[in-house]
Amino acid sequence: MAKALPIPGLNPGTRFADAAAAAVEVRAREVFAHADGVLDTSDIERVHDMRVATRRLRAAMEVFAACFSKSEHKRLLREVKALADVLGERRDPDVAIDALEGIAAELSAADRPGIGNLVDEIRRGQGRGNDRLGEALERLAESRLEERLIALAGTARRPAATPAGLNGSEPA
Amino acid sequence: MKPRKVKGLDPDGPLAENACRIVEVRLAELRSFAPRALESGEQETLHDMRIAAKRLRYVLEMSEPAFGPTAAEGAKVAKRLQDLLGEIHDCDEMLPRVRAHADTLRAQDAAALHEGAAGAADLDPAAAREAPNRARYRGLESLGTYLTARRAVLFDRFVQRWEKLESTGFAADLLDGLSPPEPAPAARADGAAA
Repeated sequence: MAKALPIPGLNPGTRFADAAAAAVEVRAREVFAHADGVLDTSDIERVHDMRVATRRLRAAMEVFAACFSKSEHKRLLREVKALADVLGERRDPDVAIDALEGIAAELSAADRPGIGNLVDEIRRGQGRGNDRLGEALERLAESRLEERLIALAGTARRPAATPAGLNGSEPA
Repeated sequence: MKPRKVKGLDPDGPLAENACRIVEVRLAELRSFAPRALESGEQETLHDMRIAAKRLRYVLEMSEPAFGPTAAEGAKVAKRLQDLLGEIHDCDEMLPRVRAHADTLRAQDAAALHEGAAGAADLDPAAAREAPNRARYRGLESLGTYLTARRAVLFDRFVQRWEKLESTGFAADLLDGLSPPEPAPAARADGAAA
């Protein structure tokens, strides 16, 4: 499992909304950095890494919810949850198959056909999960979710100080 | 499960103060599920407790820059609890699936035997020897028994772990470790210690 990237510049006195901006930005970029090759069923770790990154993003969005506009935050959180759901649908069969094969290996040969038959059924669901994930990734690219998440993060940041004379009034 | 609302958060306030408020609420939320989870062991309450442990863990992980090792240690405790409750949840999810699969196989076999007996006045018991899935029931029964027993073992471990956490005062220790340090007492005008 990929280790979470550190959030730069945080300390106890960091303004809460600035911490929110940094956390959501880093966690959003992390999710999409794991998207390459996620549909490759021969490497089950890729989908796991993207799912974990999605959970971390969702957690950051929930912890810092008070720092964002309610409606945009709610809309984007819903989209992140939907992504987490399709990743789960794809990942859960991997975990179940791994566990069942581990159990079957410890049981008697006479017990194995039944468990193997259940594993086959779960594998069929795995293919469907991959199709749905592929569709979801296409929708994500079209909806520019990453860009919208970065934009949401930016709304929490304290505006930079306005240079003198550029705040709408002419210098004296 | 919807998280409890945290009141008094201030986007312009410091991270430490806000994170402390969130941890207090998430910790109370986690502990509120314990009595029912321990007493009944019911699936839904254990699942809610797992989600509460996960929320506490994430806020502690994110607050590590503000609170240091106390937050990191608290996050580890929450993660261990979340993982254990997750293992129980996996048993709860897999068991009905195993039973449903066995039921499907039985129904398929019954249908096959029925079809094979077309026009017969009764069904010969020997026909069961030809049921297409007959070699598969045993493994599913063994699996169901194993998962039921494993769930019970894990639940015992959860009860012990939770009781140990409570008896060692983990919640109070965590909150004490996270509280921002008290400001130094103001020096008295006469120079004596307050």
